[in-house]
Amino acid sequence: MAEAPGSPAGSGGEGSPRSGVREQDRYLPIANISRIMKKALPANGKIAKDAKETVQECVSEFISFITSEASDKCQKEKRKTINGDDLLWAMATLGFEDYIEPLKLYLQKYREMEGDSKATAKGGDGSIRKEAGVLQGGTQLGSSSQGMAQHVSFTQGMNYMHPQFHNGDLSG
Amino acid sequence: MYSGILSGGISGRTGPHSLPLARIKKIMKRSGEDVKMISGEAPIVFSKACELFIEELTVRAWMVTLQGKRRTLHKEDVMAAVSATDIFDFLVELVSVSNDHATALPSSHDLVFET
Repeated sequence: MAEAPGSPAGSGGEGSPRSGVREQDRYLPIANISRIMKKALPANGKIAKDAKETVQECVSEFISFITSEASDKCQKEKRKTINGDDLLWAMATLGFEDYIEPLKLYLQKYREMEGDSKATAKGGDGSIRKEAGVLQGGTQLGSSSQGMAQHVSFTQGMNYMHPQFHNGDLSG
Repeated sequence: MYSGILSGGISGRTGPHSLPLARIKKIMKRSGEDVKMISGEAPIVFSKACELFIEELTVRAWMVTLQGKRRTLHKEDVMAAVSATDIFDFLVELVSVSNDHATALPSSHDLVFET
């Protein structure tokens, strides 16, 4: 009954004009979510299926919640593309400031792994050493100065420290 | 050892990230009509942010489970964690209305969701 692939459910509308909205379009894979949840629990902890599904829904809601806030900001500033900084700003604004530091570290690591020319170009001064590090796949080089330099250059572009709080539209 | 695999990255579909970027992007686009262009880095930020979010929600729910002297985390624990945590306020409606999700999910593929 619930399984009605060809049904004209049409609940979706946005995004997928033809079929109803499939699970694949609405949620992250439950296997990945389950894995992350397990990692957060002690080894003897078990997770019921309904809990995984609830978290799965919550994650999609989280993405939408943050994206909407970031999107509003972009519109106000007349920009078309939502970027990583917009998301970080939105998270800080909406109460997830604890996520900012780990996210910045993650981005930094990602950029190093990518060895992306953009990342090195952005670094600006002292780029010779950095480039060398990145080209060699710099992750395992113990040169912390390289990491610091990129870290600094990344944080400079952001000002989460002063998120503009506006309570109006957040209360449900 | 399980987490070792994780941190090393699940090869193939998700690359070094623990959540699929394409799927994240899809969900982002569903967030509103104005969401049209998304930078390449945005889904990467979310792949980690969602991980942090899932961990936090799970740990908070697990504390509820433990308070009830149980060993299995259930939906009710997640719901209780949501209502007890300010930053999860945006989920309150979702978790209270979504009772049908579980029953509407006999298997995991190709389901049409209606609400």
